[in-house]
Amino acid sequence: MRNMQLTVGILEKGRVLATEDLNKLLVTLGRDRCKACFRTLFEHFAPRLKSFFLKVGTNEEVAEELIQETFVQIWRKSHLYDPSKAAASTWIFTIARNRRIDRFRSEKSFVYRDDQYFADMLVMEEQQIDDVYRGELNEKIKDAIGLLSANQAEVVRLSFFDDISHREIAQKLSLPLGTVKSRLRLAFKHLRTILKEMDQ
Amino acid sequence: MINHHLSDEMILAYAAGSLPAGQAMLVRCHLDMCPHCLQRLMDAQNVGGALLDELPEMDLNEGGFDRLLAQIDDMPVLDEASSHPDHTGVVEGEVLAASSSHGPDMPALLHDVMGHGFDDIKWKLVGPGIRQFILPVQGSEGEKVRLLKLSPGFVTPQHSHHGSEITLVLKGSFCDETGRYKKGDIQEADDDVDHQPIADTEEDCICLTVTDAPLEFKKMMPRLFQPIVGI
Repeated sequence: MRNMQLTVGILEKGRVLATEDLNKLLVTLGRDRCKACFRTLFEHFAPRLKSFFLKVGTNEEVAEELIQETFVQIWRKSHLYDPSKAAASTWIFTIARNRRIDRFRSEKSFVYRDDQYFADMLVMEEQQIDDVYRGELNEKIKDAIGLLSANQAEVVRLSFFDDISHREIAQKLSLPLGTVKSRLRLAFKHLRTILKEMDQ
Repeated sequence: MINHHLSDEMILAYAAGSLPAGQAMLVRCHLDMCPHCLQRLMDAQNVGGALLDELPEMDLNEGGFDRLLAQIDDMPVLDEASSHPDHTGVVEGEVLAASSSHGPDMPALLHDVMGHGFDDIKWKLVGPGIRQFILPVQGSEGEKVRLLKLSPGFVTPQHSHHGSEITLVLKGSFCDETGRYKKGDIQEADDDVDHQPIADTEEDCICLTVTDAPLEFKKMMPRLFQPIVGI
């Protein structure tokens, strides 16, 4: 299918990067310690990560520190990134999540200490999923999130970004806990159905 | 063969990082044993990644990337040396206890917390046929993480829950009104569940259990135990 050779020169400033471009940049960073790739990834993700870290109610200074920490980890671990297992945004999300836990929820940082461990454990035996598939997958998930009901999308976003428990989400929205859980379940079922369809 | 898996809510909350320490630990121990839930975790993390990509971009302070470059240039060369693709996935100092050291039964993370395997646990008797060990895990307020050992032939006092109770079977099996749970199985019990687990083979049943509020026992005898037991 698309077999675009990505060279950093092509990436003009301001161009919207597709999932696949980001995955390739991260692979190249891991392989060649390419600083230009690192910069492009930084320019794409750092402003989004700032939103992510600020959502926990922290200040600018701490958010900037956490962005730096996240990118130091990205630099150090990029050679472990495997595009057949996760999109770059997913891989970076888990690193940022772990930085946030380290900073604000240190009591459980031991649980998330090395999430790379899971990426390595998961061996796709039946089929080798290629980069193109993962690229499409990420786009599909975005579309699927767009199709969730507003209620479902709200609880999914709150649970991923506000770092609050389902009980706290229930309090925040003045809903019974059971309602929050069932909305999450329905949302996840819907998203997983789409992922399954792609496997076939 | 694992029959009872984590709920979608638990998977999503683990992926988001929003579970309290004890529950997160239990989920991780289950993920160690369950490729099915591991795949679901990956799916949930994909959702996190897709959502991250859609967050609004916010202006950064000036010079962030240059500071970052200065920082990585200062990093010890050792990092670079260990940065070849490593098929074991082990990054020095960042991986949990290797699987060979904790025996066949105990998940690596649990072994890491305990510092030893099942044989060296200092169990405390809390009722006929029930022993427990409270783990030193600092969870949210009210969260309690414990290992329970149920001896065959004893019935755990019937109890219900104000909060949630989540259980992972590590050894042996138990059954109650809701079904049979074997090694690797998960039981999530909510406010409405009222149960009476029994170890149902010749073997002791060892479970990792996380509760977020004290359990409430139904019968007189166990209620007398409750203050001592602290269950």
